[in-house]
Amino acid sequence: MLFGRGKKNPIKIADKGVVDWRYTTCGYCSTGCSMEIGLDKSGIPVATRGVGGADVNQGKLCTKGIFEHELFRTDGRGAQPLIRDRYYESFQECSWDTALDKTASEIQRIQDTWGRDSFAIVSTGQIMTEEFYTLGKLTRGVIGTNHYDGNTTLCMASAVSGYKRSFGSDGPPGCYDDFEHTECLMAIGSNLPEQHPIIFWRLHEALEKRKFPIIVVDPRVTMFAQMADIHLPVTPGTDVVLLNALAHVILDEGLEDRAYIDAHTSDAAAFEKLVEQYDPISSSRICGIDEDTIRHVARTYARAGSAMTIWTMGINQSTHGSDGVVGINNLNLITGNIGKPGGTSLSITGQCNAMGTREWSSCSGLPGYRKLESAEDRKQIADFWGIDEDFFPRERGMFQTDIFPAIESGQIKGMWLIATNPMTSMPNTPRIRKMLEKLEFLVVQDVYRDVETNEYSHVFLPAAVWAEKEGCFTNTERRVNLTRNVCEPYANSKPDLWIFNQLAKRFKRDRKPHFPNTAEEVFEELRALSKGRMLDYSGMTWDKIEQQRGIQWPCTDGDESGAARLYTDGQFQWDDGRARLIPLSFVDNNETPDEDYPFWMNSGRVVEHFHTRTKTGKIGNLNKFSPTPYMEMNPDAARELGVEHGSYARLTSRRGDAVVMVQLTHRVAPNMVFIPFHFHECVNRLSLGLLDPYSRQPAFKQCAVKIEMAVDQDAAAVTNVAARTY
Amino acid sequence: MFNVRDDEPKYAFLAGNTGTDKNRYGDSIELVDGDHELAGESLRINDDAGIGDNPNRYKQHGFYFKADNCIACHACESACSEKNDLPPHISFRSVGYVEGGSYPDYHRLNISMACNHCDDPVCLKGCPTRAYTKFSEYGAVLQDPDICFGCGYCTWVCPYNAPQLDLVKGEVSKCNMCVDRLEVGLKPACVAACLAGALDFGIIETAPENSTQLEVQIPGFPTPDITHPNIRFEQTNSLPKEMRRTDSMPLRYEQDQQGRGAYVPKVAAGKSDKEWNLTKLRSREDPLVIFTLVTQAVIGAFMLFILAPFAGLSVVSASQPGWLTSAFLFTLLGLESLALFLSTMHLGKPHRFYRAFNNLRYSPVSREVAGVAVFFNCLLGYTLLTVFPGLFTWLLPSSFVSGFAAFCGWVGVVSGPVALYFMHSIYRIEARPYWNHWQVLTSFYGNTLALGGVLAGLFFGLGVTMMGIDSRLVIEFILGLMLMGVTMEAIGLFAHARDMVAGGGEGAASQYLQTTRFGKTYVLRNVGLALSVVILAGFAFMQAGIAVTLGAFLFVSAIITVTAVIGRALFYVLMIPTTMPGAFFWKNPGFEEHARETGLADMPQVGVVPDAH
Repeated sequence: MLFGRGKKNPIKIADKGVVDWRYTTCGYCSTGCSMEIGLDKSGIPVATRGVGGADVNQGKLCTKGIFEHELFRTDGRGAQPLIRDRYYESFQECSWDTALDKTASEIQRIQDTWGRDSFAIVSTGQIMTEEFYTLGKLTRGVIGTNHYDGNTTLCMASAVSGYKRSFGSDGPPGCYDDFEHTECLMAIGSNLPEQHPIIFWRLHEALEKRKFPIIVVDPRVTMFAQMADIHLPVTPGTDVVLLNALAHVILDEGLEDRAYIDAHTSDAAAFEKLVEQYDPISSSRICGIDEDTIRHVARTYARAGSAMTIWTMGINQSTHGSDGVVGINNLNLITGNIGKPGGTSLSITGQCNAMGTREWSSCSGLPGYRKLESAEDRKQIADFWGIDEDFFPRERGMFQTDIFPAIESGQIKGMWLIATNPMTSMPNTPRIRKMLEKLEFLVVQDVYRDVETNEYSHVFLPAAVWAEKEGCFTNTERRVNLTRNVCEPYANSKPDLWIFNQLAKRFKRDRKPHFPNTAEEVFEELRALSKGRMLDYSGMTWDKIEQQRGIQWPCTDGDESGAARLYTDGQFQWDDGRARLIPLSFVDNNETPDEDYPFWMNSGRVVEHFHTRTKTGKIGNLNKFSPTPYMEMNPDAARELGVEHGSYARLTSRRGDAVVMVQLTHRVAPNMVFIPFHFHECVNRLSLGLLDPYSRQPAFKQCAVKIEMAVDQDAAAVTNVAARTY
Repeated sequence: MFNVRDDEPKYAFLAGNTGTDKNRYGDSIELVDGDHELAGESLRINDDAGIGDNPNRYKQHGFYFKADNCIACHACESACSEKNDLPPHISFRSVGYVEGGSYPDYHRLNISMACNHCDDPVCLKGCPTRAYTKFSEYGAVLQDPDICFGCGYCTWVCPYNAPQLDLVKGEVSKCNMCVDRLEVGLKPACVAACLAGALDFGIIETAPENSTQLEVQIPGFPTPDITHPNIRFEQTNSLPKEMRRTDSMPLRYEQDQQGRGAYVPKVAAGKSDKEWNLTKLRSREDPLVIFTLVTQAVIGAFMLFILAPFAGLSVVSASQPGWLTSAFLFTLLGLESLALFLSTMHLGKPHRFYRAFNNLRYSPVSREVAGVAVFFNCLLGYTLLTVFPGLFTWLLPSSFVSGFAAFCGWVGVVSGPVALYFMHSIYRIEARPYWNHWQVLTSFYGNTLALGGVLAGLFFGLGVTMMGIDSRLVIEFILGLMLMGVTMEAIGLFAHARDMVAGGGEGAASQYLQTTRFGKTYVLRNVGLALSVVILAGFAFMQAGIAVTLGAFLFVSAIITVTAVIGRALFYVLMIPTTMPGAFFWKNPGFEEHARETGLADMPQVGVVPDAH
């Protein structure tokens, strides 16, 4: 029935009055989506859209990206530098000079009193590559502490470590285009639709054109597990056993690519000898996947013309994280699936510029994948910066997860945190609080004044956010992409680059590197330092990057564009040019469920939130999808304990307790619960976070908890509201 | 015109034509031909006079949802909210889900739903202000917030929860099909944003590429018979026979015994403990509890007042003016004014109240308002003409004044019950099975007699007796009417409870809540009702003294009033609509209530508007 008023009013549809679109790269995860921010005629960011012609996202954006223009106006921003003598006193607003002078003098005082390495610097995966490089220069070339790391230790360290052990260097060898070519995809510990929706879309698009098997290894029945052709609900922490068993079947049945093994790998014999022990029958008893399925998956993977494995935190955040990555690399090496279209080990990275910090921040070494352990690398950088090469330590210092315990034991007296929030993000919050209390001086540099770690700081430096600045990010597939400046920094906040440069001026050194004023000038240093190396930036300029909507490294001077894949010639970064097949023995050192703590506790990401929610917790159109933490729990297990859907449960572990709302669902096993990791005073009050021996990454996802109904539901609700209030 | 970018991706463009002319409901997909008066007009989007060049402009379009593919990534909802600049508490499109099976054989089915731009738009018919239009362009059902006065009736009648009542702005808004994008050949923003090939859009009855099904059923989706929705589904993956909801609605969906047919809603029984939850009887609809009950009482009392003399009860008569009659009439007037005031203030935009009459042709709300308005004016006229005839007789002959008073009285007597009939029609909503029962009529008329009796009895039983006049006959007559009223109510409620349980689905779920969450309250109400029937029936056969009778009248009146308020409050709070399943937080009424109670809702980023009542 057509029906209406005789005389219709004009139809009104929201018109945000965008007059200008600015090119940026999304500042949330590392998918690296090209987006444009729309400004209205008063220059206020009012809209976001994906860039249609961008290779990565082809106009698409996920829910977080869609609202990224709202980021500039979120509550809780730092407006002025803050200062106080003791953490339990109130902050006083102060000038930048006062804050920076205090910071520089405190760093120098602590270093003079307790030694150069008694001051630690922990950064992030969130700031621009040019800023990372500058921070590295400041830390390695001016301040000179060796205890300098990024929060990438909490997310990507195992991937870095695994790549280095197998291939001789960090650097993901594959790309999204591999979905278009692969004949089999295995995802281990990756909930792609939730964590990286745009990468999932790329995979989905490939599947619409050409069906190929999807194997998902995940203890939880995620949407990805549901849509998979084969889902392996693996026992937490036993991926290495599964990977060894797959290799066992492949070698046992002669399905390996022997020519590739012979030509491009070393140490095959030791590896083959070890995996002999991992027959499907005994492996099935550890990893919880039956022997037939193990064989079926091994055959499917090995017989595919090309096969690829992607993974995220399910592998990395484990006591065998680095081994898990190596296990994946082993699998792909013995099947000849490295460096070819559709055959790769592709780690799906978490933070927008986790790759940038790995490449350029000097956290684990020196810029451009150079090693502190190499005299040649030390000399190159010292010469380039114009400093004394002996100023550099000869091996890397502590990881983030070792720096914090070093506060406990008194080795670290002061700390500078940049865009990271260990009060929420690190395991065992009760212990982290005790550590932070002990610091003589803590400076927090962050976009948000209400970032929880600021509770313990002495100086707060308000930073500009994302496109209030400009510079590059590198994404999961090594694509360097640009963020142009969209608007001025909020209030008196400043770009991180400016803060680093200002601080550098305050240190007295005989020979000091030059600190360029603009990010684009810094980028020229990256080009020069990377020329001829694996991560070659020399063929890129900012304008060229914008024009091509991102360029993958290596891109050598003179090249039209970047390279899609690494190791296409089978030449690896170890001195002999071969990749290493590394035998991985398995020791189960996890805190497993027992009578006292009968549930596995697993954690992970939800699509609407990013990390510790400092950004997304304030954007209503995202936060509303999960405004408080919740726990997925199996209804059968809940019935026995009298735990009810929608009520509050109290969880206890050997570290502490937490109150969380219960969501009953068969998505999780009867002996397991899942809690999103984003929320303050929740999952990390319980987590153990045993460290991986190679990457020092914590095993966030495997620990044991006890569950009971919260006795006083009203009090539990009050506790919950208090922890969510900004 | 909407700006199409140079690098607009291919997936954003609308696909081509369909093979069929008629849709499954037998209606033409081509809504008007080129010569029709509704063709060739500009939509005047934001006053733009341009006319889109979409070749299929006059064909009915609709969404296509491939449920197996949806990953609940919220991209569609977000793209919609971004484009339409919506605050967190409003969304034109929402994703909810149902789930089934047991670990690891677990299946979650996500459902993304906006407006279905129905062939038979009940929102449009129900809207009293005529804020809705079904356009010949794309068959879009659009709503104009500038006309809307925020009564929210469209949100009641829509089976899909498409219209969104913004309690902050006091108006409804809804999916606009992105007609600005359609005009230039682009798919709606939500569709262009989909990250899993789940959501599509085009000419209705056209399956997108790589799709084969054109279903109108999916677990959790209400019957298409109500509105003939323009949405088509594909869902081919095997699902468990039972799918459960995660929101607080006690509903699940069960496939028939052979496991082949459609999924039908059933009660998802949990705890069977009976609770009071008296505070939870309060709701946003509190003004309507008062409005309906008071209006019914006033109409009942007025009818009794006008008609009683014909039953030989001369004590009750305007011919006996005096302070009692005046007090009676002004009490009715005062009560009804208060009721109308409350119901008007219940609107999002009370100053637009006059628009309530705009849709007498279709909307029961318009008709009810008209009926009540006529009654109210008759009451007003009658009162003034009777109590203050001197105001008029200096100008008009006194016979004319008394004749006009009588006219007002009679029109009031007729318009009152007619208004109540339309009031009852408001609740006969197919998308609200708990309301869609004849019991609403017996309840409304039953309360008219019972509460009307209470009001009249206070004046012409108690009041008259205190004046020293024998009121035995009057009070017995009134007790008789009250007995009829409570009996009607009781019979209706009995049948209602029986039919709700037998009917299954949302109605049975409401009844389940009535007997559990409000179980003790429900018992109290029923006991009160039964007690009133017994006491009233007792007095019909017993010749008690006037003092005892009046005492019993007061006692019963108190019980009737309390049970009526509880009953009417239950009527509103128990209603479970046929709308789509929510998620664990978003569109979960249980969480919304929790957020309001605990203060989470005070943070705007939680997306729940704090309580206003």
